[in-house]
Amino acid sequence: MDTQTEVLNILSDLTGEDLSDQLDENIFETGLMDSMGTVQMLLELQDKFGIAVPVSEFNRAEWDTPKKIIAKVESLQNE
Amino acid sequence: MIKDIIKTIDEIAKTDPTRDAYDYLGKTNTYGDLKQRSDAYAAKIVALHLPAKEPIMIWGGQTFEMIASFLGAVKTGHAYIPIDSGSNNERLLMIQEVSRSKTVIAIDPLPVKIDGVKVITPADVPTVDFEPNPHYFVEGDDNYYIIFTSGTTGKPKGVQISHRNLLSFVNWELSDFNLPAQPSFLAQAPFSFDLSVMSLYPALVSGGKLVVLPREATQNFGELFQVLPKMQFNVWVSTPSFAEMCFLDSTFNGDHHPDLTHFLFCGEELSHKTAVALQKKFPQAHIFNTYGPTETTVAVTQVEITPELLAKYDRLPIGYAKADTKITIDTSKGEVNDQGEIIIHGPSVSKGYLHNPDKTKAVFFKSQADTELSYRAGDLGFIKDKLLFYRGRIDFQIKFNGYRIELEEINFYLSKHPLVKYGVVAPKYTPDHKVRQLVAVVVLNDGVKEQYQQAEIVKQLRESLEKNIMPYMIPQRFVFQDEMPISQNGKVDLKAVIKEVNQA
Repeated sequence: MDTQTEVLNILSDLTGEDLSDQLDENIFETGLMDSMGTVQMLLELQDKFGIAVPVSEFNRAEWDTPKKIIAKVESLQNE
Repeated sequence: MIKDIIKTIDEIAKTDPTRDAYDYLGKTNTYGDLKQRSDAYAAKIVALHLPAKEPIMIWGGQTFEMIASFLGAVKTGHAYIPIDSGSNNERLLMIQEVSRSKTVIAIDPLPVKIDGVKVITPADVPTVDFEPNPHYFVEGDDNYYIIFTSGTTGKPKGVQISHRNLLSFVNWELSDFNLPAQPSFLAQAPFSFDLSVMSLYPALVSGGKLVVLPREATQNFGELFQVLPKMQFNVWVSTPSFAEMCFLDSTFNGDHHPDLTHFLFCGEELSHKTAVALQKKFPQAHIFNTYGPTETTVAVTQVEITPELLAKYDRLPIGYAKADTKITIDTSKGEVNDQGEIIIHGPSVSKGYLHNPDKTKAVFFKSQADTELSYRAGDLGFIKDKLLFYRGRIDFQIKFNGYRIELEEINFYLSKHPLVKYGVVAPKYTPDHKVRQLVAVVVLNDGVKEQYQQAEIVKQLRESLEKNIMPYMIPQRFVFQDEMPISQNGKVDLKAVIKEVNQA
């Protein structure tokens, strides 16, 4: 499975919604994601992709759409 | 054994005035400051000539002025009602209506004007030379604080906690958890949540310190994980969910927090998985699971979660009853053998809900032979080897991120919406029995679906709910269906909906 599909699977599990055709949807503004959901998301992303999210520099604005999350994961994978 | 909360704190201020009592992100206040500011609030309140024992609302966050005003209120014989400034206007107005309080101390600016209610701000309270008369201190069965929980159809219930209730709790925490002397506590929970009391009074009566992690710092991970690694304290108090959030921080472990010797969890179920992960990170620390409804003063059972206990139980016990309290199981309310409703009997049981005799009578009782009150917790449990185990609710109240939520309250507002024919909210559970999200299941009125896009409908429902209920009660997800399981009495069958949501 590619990164995009994996990320969307995690998001769909957490929000209960298939976001594959809403890649630019702001998941915080729409209320799909809250802070506890974000914790679960980050824990699962770290687990699934073996990446280390630098949480002390975490800025929600960089993680607020599925597209941005996918891009973040891809760039952290390449580090 | 502590006999008087207020006098004990004042005594420390007299013998050790320069000792730190409060640390708000590095800004510290001493016991001397606490006495001086609480006496100043007391002087201000005395000058108002309020009717005796009339409760005072206190609106604000987690700053030092909050605890000073709490003590100022109880030094003049008035219970305080802590209301977190993160609450919405409606909740504030509703609490005023139910409590009939005529005074609010606004540590943070009030967002709304309340007719007939006097507003005191910290600027109105100059530091003066005033020694409150101990004769007027709250004591015995007089109310010390009143914490409002949510209630069906929007009316919150004010749980009245007396000085005697609070003493029973504080003395238990100081004796049964083997805490260090003069312990410093994490103070993370907002004061309107009684989990905060687990840090507040045990710290202050033993000359300890409160190390505050304010809500603003926990809203954004970036800030949380800059602040948390720098904080040092002995006793961690939070919901399990909050500790899980901290697992994201790679420095959240015993090496980086060498002073941290105790974890006290309350407010929701501590899962086996979380306890194991925590033990790995803090192998030297003592981890305690505790349980108790607000109505019985914070918590009434505790058990240390040891490796032996983790090996023995997949779903962790919630603890042994404290020495002055008896817990029994009303098996007539259970469906499985030996399981039933948890009944709590002892000196920390509240006298009931403020100005609400009907709701009080429904869950509080005293049989003739008893000297203490009993409370029906509405929680399902059983006792084995003197240990109490929790198995869920017997009604439709849930715990979500530590908040107590009555689903029927959300349902009430959701169903009232003009677009909605039937609307109910179901908790979706994780495999370890925690609520992961709230799912609103909705049948729309005829023609609505044709008229609006689904996203537009969700937006409208969300906005309307935001006006009436707390932010933590807003469903994360909206599911639209053409029909709903209906029970024999013509109402939506909530149990069936909850089952459906958790099968998907």
